[in-house]
Amino acid sequence: MKFIVASNVLLRQLQAISGVISTNNPLPILDNFLLEVSENKLTITASDLETTIITEMEADSKDRGTIAIPARMLLDTLKSFGGDEPLTFTINEKGYLVEISSSQGKYKISGQNGEEFPRIPENDGANSLDIPSDVLLNAINKTLFATGNDDLRPVMSGVYCQLSPDNVTFVATDAHRLVRYRRVDAKANKEISFIIPKKPLNLLKNTLPTDSTVVKIEYNESNAFFSFDGHQIICRLIDGRYPNYEAVIPADNPNVLEIDREQFLNSIKRVAIFSNKTTHQVKLKLSGSEIQISAEDVDFNNEAKERLTCNYAGDDMEIAFNAKFIADMLSNINSEQVKMEMSLPNRAGIITPNNGDASKEDLLMLVMPVMLG
Amino acid sequence: MQDIIHIDMDAFYAAVEQRDFPQYRNKPVVVGGDPDKRGVVATCSYEARKFGIHSAMPCARAMRLCPNAIFVRPRFELYRQISQQIRDVMFSYTDLVEPLSLDEAYLDVTQCKRSFGSPTLVAKAIKNDIKQVTGLTASAGISYNKFLAKIASDLDKPDGLTLITEKQGSEFVKQLSIGKFHGIGPATESKMQDLGIYTGADLLAWNLEELKSIFGKVSDYYYHAARGLDHRKVVSHRQRKSIGSEKTYNEDVGDIKEMLLRLENLAEEVWQDLSGKHMTARTVTVKVKFDNFVQVTRAVTLANDISKLGDITASLQDLLYKADVEGRRVRLLGVSVSKLTLLEQVDEEQLSLL
Repeated sequence: MKFIVASNVLLRQLQAISGVISTNNPLPILDNFLLEVSENKLTITASDLETTIITEMEADSKDRGTIAIPARMLLDTLKSFGGDEPLTFTINEKGYLVEISSSQGKYKISGQNGEEFPRIPENDGANSLDIPSDVLLNAINKTLFATGNDDLRPVMSGVYCQLSPDNVTFVATDAHRLVRYRRVDAKANKEISFIIPKKPLNLLKNTLPTDSTVVKIEYNESNAFFSFDGHQIICRLIDGRYPNYEAVIPADNPNVLEIDREQFLNSIKRVAIFSNKTTHQVKLKLSGSEIQISAEDVDFNNEAKERLTCNYAGDDMEIAFNAKFIADMLSNINSEQVKMEMSLPNRAGIITPNNGDASKEDLLMLVMPVMLG
Repeated sequence: MQDIIHIDMDAFYAAVEQRDFPQYRNKPVVVGGDPDKRGVVATCSYEARKFGIHSAMPCARAMRLCPNAIFVRPRFELYRQISQQIRDVMFSYTDLVEPLSLDEAYLDVTQCKRSFGSPTLVAKAIKNDIKQVTGLTASAGISYNKFLAKIASDLDKPDGLTLITEKQGSEFVKQLSIGKFHGIGPATESKMQDLGIYTGADLLAWNLEELKSIFGKVSDYYYHAARGLDHRKVVSHRQRKSIGSEKTYNEDVGDIKEMLLRLENLAEEVWQDLSGKHMTARTVTVKVKFDNFVQVTRAVTLANDISKLGDITASLQDLLYKADVEGRRVRLLGVSVSKLTLLEQVDEEQLSLL
C-alpha cells in the first residue's frame, strides 16, 4: 500500500486531532493514529476510547488498506520538514512496516495492525440536529468555563445540552456559578437532553470553523456524533441526571445595576490583585449612581478600592463575590453594557448582556456571593 | 543588589550531642537510626566524617567503617528548640529569614535592622550570637544571591565565613564542579557529565534553548547559575506573635483613672486590629514606662480566647495595679495581645447554588 501527501498538509490534519490522544492510554494501540487509505483519500482517526476524532484529506493513492502509526513519532517527523515536502508512505502490510521517503532520505517506522484499533460506536441516525458552526462555537465558549471539576459530581463536569422543537439550551455549573446559553434560532425535532464531557468540547472549540458551516449533531442514549467539514467527533456522553438548574435561578431581584462591561471587568481584575488569595473576595457597595469595588488581604495588609459610576436602581447594599467568577463571566459577554440583578447579599446575582434583546442569543449567568466577614 | 547570607550549622545534631555530653567530644559521633536495624545516619561529627561516614548512609555501614563510633539516637524535640533559638537570633537581625531545615537558613540582610557596614560583619555577628546562645558553631556564606551564598557557606566548614563578591561571582562559578551546584544531584550530575559538562565553565557554553531541550523547566536556573545569577528571593514565613498599640504622651500621666481610660482606648485599637485579622488571642499585656524611663510589663493569660473587646479591657485595671503605678507618673502606656491563633474563617464563605 502506498500514498503520497504533502508534509505540511498531513501535519495540519494530525495536529488538529492529536489533542484527543491521552498521555496514559488504557490501550497501547491508542498511542497511534489510524490511517485508512482508499482511492485518493486518507482518513485519519485518533481516540482515547471516550472520545474519537476522525478527519479526511486528499492523498495521492490508488491502493486501499489500514495501518496504525505511532503518533508522537509521526508528528515529530512531519514537524521537522518545514515546508510542503512531498512524502511517499509505503506500507508493508505483512510486517506493518512504514517507510517514508522524502527528497532527503528514507525513514522506517514500525506500525501496528490497523484492525486492532478499537471500533468506533455506530450511530443509528434517528436523532439529529443541524446547527451553524459559529453558533455552536459560541455556545461552547460561553459555557465551558463554568463547568465543575468535582469527581463526586461528574454530571457537572460537562455541558448540559437541552434540545427542543422551540430552542436549544446549553447549561454549565460548578455549584457556585451557572451559565445558561439559549438559542431560539436552532431547533431539534424532539425533546432530548444529554451531557457532553469537557474533552470533546475542547476539541470542538479548537476544530470548529468560525463561519456558518453546518455542523450535524447526531445522538443516541450513550453517544453524540458531530460532523462538519470532513471532521467527525464522537464522544461518550456523561451518564446521570443534571440538576434542576431552573429552580435555582431567582425570579425576584429588585436591585438592578447597569454598567459598562469593560470598565467593570478592568476594575474587578485590578482590585482582585489585592484580595485574599484563597477567597478572591471583592466587595461591591452600591448606592445611588455609584458602585464602590474593594478588596483586602488582611494577612498582608493589601487593600484596594475603586469607584465607578453606574446606573443603579434598588436599595443600598453590600455584596461580595469571588472576583475570578465575576471576571470570567464579564469576559465571556460581548455586549458593551451588562446588567446585574440582585436581591440580598446571600442570594445569587444574575449577570446578563444589556443589549436591548436585539440578539438571537439568550445568555444568563448566575453567581453565588461570598458571605461578608 | 541584595546581600544574602546562608547560615549552615556545623554537623548540627552531632554538635548538640557533643555539647551536652562532654565524653563525646573529639570522638566520632553518629546521630541516626539503630545500626542493628536499618537506620540511616542523620548527621555525624567531623571526627566521624574522617572515616568516610556521611549522612543518609546506612548505620550498619557506618559501623563497619568505624566500629568505635558512638551511635546515638536523635533528640529531635531538643534540636527543634535549639533551632528556634537560632532563628530568634537571625530574626533579631532581619525579618527576611527563610529556614530550609532545622540547621540551615537564608537571610536577606540588605535592609539589616542594625548597622554594621558590611554583610560580612553581620554574618560574623550572627555567628557570634549563635555561639553565645547555643554554644554551637555555624558556617556562613555571604554573597549577592542565594545560589552563591549557599555554595560559600560550604567552602570553609566548620566555623567558616566566606564571601563571594559580585566581581568574583561569575569567575568563581566557572571553576566550580557541576556536582557542587545546589539542585544538581548525582543523577543530573552524571547526565551533565555525559554531555561533557564538568564545571561551570562547561555549562556556560550551553545556551538556554539547548539546555531546555534536555533538562526542561529547571534549565532557567542552570543557565543563570552558570552566570553567577540567581533571582530567587528570600521568602520569610514568619507569623506574627503579638498585636499591640502603645503611645508616648506629651505630658506624664499621674492619675490612675486617667491611665485606665487611656489603656481602654489603646485596647480598642488592638481589638479592631485583632478582629480585622480574623485572629484571636489568649494573653493580654500592659506596658508602662515611668517618668524615670524604667519600663515594666505585666501580663495575664486568660482561660478562654478573646472574643470581644470586653475580654481585653476586663484585665486592664488588675494589670495596671500589678505594674505598681500608684503614686507614680507614667510617660508611655501600651496594650498588646499574644498567643495568637487564626480564627476559622467560616464567615467568609462561598455560597453554593445546588
